Amino acid sequence: MASTETPVTSLSTRGRLIRLLVTVVGAGLLLAGTFWGEDDHFPFGPFKMYASAVDPDAPTVDTRLEATDAAGATVPLTERNTGIRRAEIEGQIDRFRAEPELLRVAADAYASRNPDAPALTEVRIVIRWHEVRDFTPTGDWEEEVVATWRP
Amino acid sequence: MAAVTGQPGRLTGAVTRWLTEPVPLGRLAAFRTLVYLFVIADLVVFTPWVRAHADVPGELYRPLLIGRLLPLPTPAPALVWGVFAGLLVSAAVAATGRLPRLAGTVVALLYLEWMIIAFSYGKVDHDRFGLLVALAVLATVGRARHGDATRSEAAGWALRATQLAVVATYFLAAFAKLRWGGLEWLTGATLTWAIVRRGTFLAEPLLEVPAVLIAAQIGIVAFELLSPLVFVLRPRWRYAAVGFFYSFHLVSFATITISFLPHLVAMTSFLPLERVRPMIWARRLASARRGERAGGRAAGHPVPVAGDPAVGGPGEAPHHAPPQ
Repeated sequence: MASTETPVTSLSTRGRLIRLLVTVVGAGLLLAGTFWGEDDHFPFGPFKMYASAVDPDAPTVDTRLEATDAAGATVPLTERNTGIRRAEIEGQIDRFRAEPELLRVAADAYASRNPDAPALTEVRIVIRWHEVRDFTPTGDWEEEVVATWRP
Repeated sequence: MAAVTGQPGRLTGAVTRWLTEPVPLGRLAAFRTLVYLFVIADLVVFTPWVRAHADVPGELYRPLLIGRLLPLPTPAPALVWGVFAGLLVSAAVAATGRLPRLAGTVVALLYLEWMIIAFSYGKVDHDRFGLLVALAVLATVGRARHGDATRSEAAGWALRATQLAVVATYFLAAFAKLRWGGLEWLTGATLTWAIVRRGTFLAEPLLEVPAVLIAAQIGIVAFELLSPLVFVLRPRWRYAAVGFFYSFHLVSFATITISFLPHLVAMTSFLPLERVRPMIWARRLASARRGERAGGRAAGHPVPVAGDPAVGGPGEAPHHAPPQ
């Protein structure tokens, strides 16, 4: 604990008021973002990590991006080999559904990061729906191919 | 102090005094070094996927509002690597405490752009509001020497603003859950889903006992709603509360691999960081070692060594250190 004798450097009245004002405006923006904002309003958007209620009897979604290469092998496309995060695919999944040819972008990103790898002959987004009953995954799942693109 | 008078003036005065409650400059200096070193570690080690966006074609770039307003260019390799290099250099300068306002402002602006590059591809993370506030406010504090016991209101506001941002991240997250999930969030399967998606071997047994997961969800919302109490607790309990916050993230990381690392760094704004003096400890250790080596058979007895500032034991305070 600092003793009361340690010297204190004070702010000017103006400096204090500016800081008060900045704090109040910042708090106001953050409150507005929380109640009316969206992620688009970063950095003042709502803190909605894991904020959705999940139905304990509905299948859970598990999305992946994968490809088939010229050798016929299945290649998982990940953050590491494409620079695209899984959550980014999920965030733009409606776009990919509407225009599957956009998956060419993932193939291009993969090629630029892995110049020596065999070319990709197909890129697809697959959702594995894990069946859940009364909070418990049953171990069964179904797969849905959301979008496919071939060069 | 009271520039304003009257009832509302007195309230404003009290709020302002609390917002700018002076803290030792040494604490600010330690926080500053920690935050800027973290920025470097974040760029290089913890969030490598941001620079990976250099290779992602611009068609996937969906600029956030701030990126459209400013308007910022679509990331291309030159931009991404330029911001990366600029951040490494400016954060390294700022971590030393030199040019605090200039280097601090450059880091704050470049890191904001770095985050826009990070979050403009379809996913916004919510783990670093506190860090962004810390970067913005650190630039408003001038020089602060490590170990300086002088208390400063400017430093006090910087730490308070960061603390408020950290606690807001918890408190307002509860309202986001109400807004998106509603009350069903409490009894829903959000944690089940999180474990199915990214659970560790530690979490998987929990899938068998949904009651525990529901209890955990209720506990999470209760803790988020109560988190502002940290500001009214006495120091001992306040540190206990902050310790609890840290343990919450430890458990989250162990079970669903969510670390919230930038937030954890911002949360050190609650701690008496001025007591952490790695350089002084290293110097003491070094001088103790030197003493032992020079002592030879009489190991443990300090002996004068050419180049040493003075003869002293391991407990010696450096001659330039201010009174603790």
